[in-house]
Amino acid sequence: MPSDFAVAKRRLRLLGLTGDDAIKAFFGGNALVSVVVLLLITIFLFREGVGFFGQNRQNLAIYRQAGLEYVEFIRAQQADHIALTRSLADLRLRYLTCLTEERQMTLAAANEALAGFDDYAGKFSDTVEPLRGLATELTEMATAIKTKFLVTQDQKEARRQLLAEGKSAEAAKVKIDEVDFATELKPLVGTLPVYRDLNREFARRLVEVAAAAPALPTADLRDRMTRLQQHVRDYVAGFPAIETRLAKWDHRRPVPWWESFTAFVFGRAWLTASFWQDWYGILPLLAGSVLVSMVALMIAVPLGVGAAVYVNQIAGVREQKFIKPGIEFIAAFPSVVLGFFGIAVLGQILRAVSQLPGLSWVPGFPYSERLNVLTAGCLLALIAVPTIFTLAEDALNNVPRAFKEASFALGASRLQTITRIVVPASLSGIVSAVLLGLGRVIGETMVVLLCAGNRIAIPDFSSGLGVVTQPVHTMTGIIAQEMGEVVRGSIHYRALFVVGLVLFLLSLAINYAAQTIVRRYRISIG
Amino acid sequence: MSAGKHIFQSPASGFRRAERAWLWAFRLATYLVLACGLGVFATIVVKGSRTVFQTEAPFLNVRFLTQAPESLYVFDFEGRHYEQGDREHRAFVAAHPAAENVKKESLVYSAGGIFPCIVGTLLLVVGSMSIALFLGVAAAIYLNEYARDGWFIRFVRLAILNLAGVPSIVFGLFGFGLFVIFFGWNVSLLAGWFTLAFMVLPVVITASEESLKAVPKGFREGSLALGATKWQAISTNVLPYALPGILTSSILGVARVAGETAPIMFTAAYVVRDKLPWEVARAGDFFFQGVMALPYHIYVVSSKIPQNDYTERVQYGSAFVFLLLVALIATTSILLRNHLRNRYKW
Repeated sequence: MPSDFAVAKRRLRLLGLTGDDAIKAFFGGNALVSVVVLLLITIFLFREGVGFFGQNRQNLAIYRQAGLEYVEFIRAQQADHIALTRSLADLRLRYLTCLTEERQMTLAAANEALAGFDDYAGKFSDTVEPLRGLATELTEMATAIKTKFLVTQDQKEARRQLLAEGKSAEAAKVKIDEVDFATELKPLVGTLPVYRDLNREFARRLVEVAAAAPALPTADLRDRMTRLQQHVRDYVAGFPAIETRLAKWDHRRPVPWWESFTAFVFGRAWLTASFWQDWYGILPLLAGSVLVSMVALMIAVPLGVGAAVYVNQIAGVREQKFIKPGIEFIAAFPSVVLGFFGIAVLGQILRAVSQLPGLSWVPGFPYSERLNVLTAGCLLALIAVPTIFTLAEDALNNVPRAFKEASFALGASRLQTITRIVVPASLSGIVSAVLLGLGRVIGETMVVLLCAGNRIAIPDFSSGLGVVTQPVHTMTGIIAQEMGEVVRGSIHYRALFVVGLVLFLLSLAINYAAQTIVRRYRISIG
Repeated sequence: MSAGKHIFQSPASGFRRAERAWLWAFRLATYLVLACGLGVFATIVVKGSRTVFQTEAPFLNVRFLTQAPESLYVFDFEGRHYEQGDREHRAFVAAHPAAENVKKESLVYSAGGIFPCIVGTLLLVVGSMSIALFLGVAAAIYLNEYARDGWFIRFVRLAILNLAGVPSIVFGLFGFGLFVIFFGWNVSLLAGWFTLAFMVLPVVITASEESLKAVPKGFREGSLALGATKWQAISTNVLPYALPGILTSSILGVARVAGETAPIMFTAAYVVRDKLPWEVARAGDFFFQGVMALPYHIYVVSSKIPQNDYTERVQYGSAFVFLLLVALIATTSILLRNHLRNRYKW
């Protein structure tokens, strides 16, 4: 047949695909893997995490129904009194240092001189005793109601499981002691008149005791004492508000669905495995993560961008040849090794530096906690620098030579060219480099887990910049630390997944911002 | 800028001095970073080499590299000071029953060596890199050779870019949720392999694509012109030239896989395990066993045991061996890449 090609070849088809099509499909499928992984991450974080909000609502509902919320008002009142006592103790310490250092008294003599003050402080802290007794009693009552309810829940769960296994006879045998919250709460709420009496007496005694402050030697101490007394008066003035709140409290008030969400997003406490009430609020963790990252960026941005400018614009070829691999080498440091370095070496060094007498003017110095935001931030900076350096250097490299040459031709100096031409022209790239550095830092786990101090509390920002010397806990750290110990499917377990979800979304947002900035603000090279 | 006096040269002014100060500030920033990196490296090398090397032959602390971690007992007995590992101590107590009740300090993981951790890390790296290379190279071939620009490709690239930014602990959570719980693999090598492979996938894809791009178009066209199918062209005329580049660039991924702790914490790593990975009853169990891993071991010994002269040895020793391992991998990759860039020029 002359019309056919000599090399015509029938291709084997399988499901309508030639071999080549199949190969193409195979490779395409592999390309799809990253999309699938990203989807799976989203799905599994949601799958494990989404149950949290329902469980947390339940958690909050029990908190209210079992009367824990009611008791919490009184406990908070007591806690405030403890805070006042603590500031009194702080005052005593100042008094003591004043006596020993300025008056050159021996410690024993100073303590003797403080006897009057101690008597006052003792009376002050004793005033709360009746209230404390009531609070302890009520705490026990509320906890008992909660435990009772939880036992009921367990019984219901047992019955449900038996039913699911088809053992209806045994299921019927499971006794369920329904908890009627109204009756259970009656004795608890019934203590209100007692509380009122106690409270009136407490307020009277507190004001009376506080007013009888001993004479203090220096103006500073007297000033502090006056302020403390003012605090006491404010504290007592708040008592009627607490009483109205207690009177108005109702265990039947429903917990709306969004409250479990806001309790998570705006929750100021992350408290788990507590005998009283577990709280899952992300704020302390978020604050810790953000604070550590900010410290890291504060150090890493000038260094990273400075190094990029230096290597790209100033350094000679021979210098470039060892600086670039050197910084890339730093990028290869495993983070756990850096974390270990922080625990073993850097923590001590920084603490020793902070305790140098010449540096006491620095906010937060001296400090005694060697693992804190500063230690973790310094090490994270070392992690962020290579990322920022590499990307910023790329961005600087992309600035056309002509820009620079034109600038030089106009008589600009080297520094002027760098600061007015090259850096502005590559600013979008540099900003995105910084953002990606932020993403790297905020997702870093081992360094913060080992070096940030792991104290779950919102750092005290009132000390200004000194806040960086406080220990914090972070989102990544809490997952790494607690995930191994939680019961699968428990509310705590799900809460950790939600934290992971927040972290994931945060990283996506940072990535998105970095890409958008590069795309939108790129200077067109014409 | 030029040496000697020039008629147009302006006198050294404050401006000049400010400029010089700024340039020095940039230089300082650069060298400060390098100095910090060097400082960390040197500290660990100096202190760690005391554990890993010794002054008499064979100069290498073979015990540290070939034994499993065990507890350390420190005590004074009959006027002598003893520091003994667990096994040694038991033998000693058997020989001297009076030593049983001597007051002693026991420190977990501070004696013995780190052999199971090294083995575990190597297994994790080999397994996860095989998976990542397979998936990554295939994906890169598709992206670079087959795909035409369109929404699908843009979507895939976006996914890769975003995947690269996902924190490693999130990969850990994901691996835990999917492999450990949903697939029921428990804490196992397999779960660790896949978790790490997915984490490093973006690095491998980017590296592979770069190497594929470096192969000149003419190679493909020449092959196609001779009547080869697309796949024949790729397999005979593109991959062989791109492969060295792919492998070396992916070594950077190896450094990442070896160095990460967070993803394996709940997917593959055990704090302590008596058996070595190959001591399994059935061959199938091999994949479903947890292993000890060097980075996790470092985390454990640096956070869970007190810091003192006795524990310091194992802490710095492990960190040193680990750093050396990773540094070796990273240096190889950087050098090889520079070498290859110069060699393959068409």
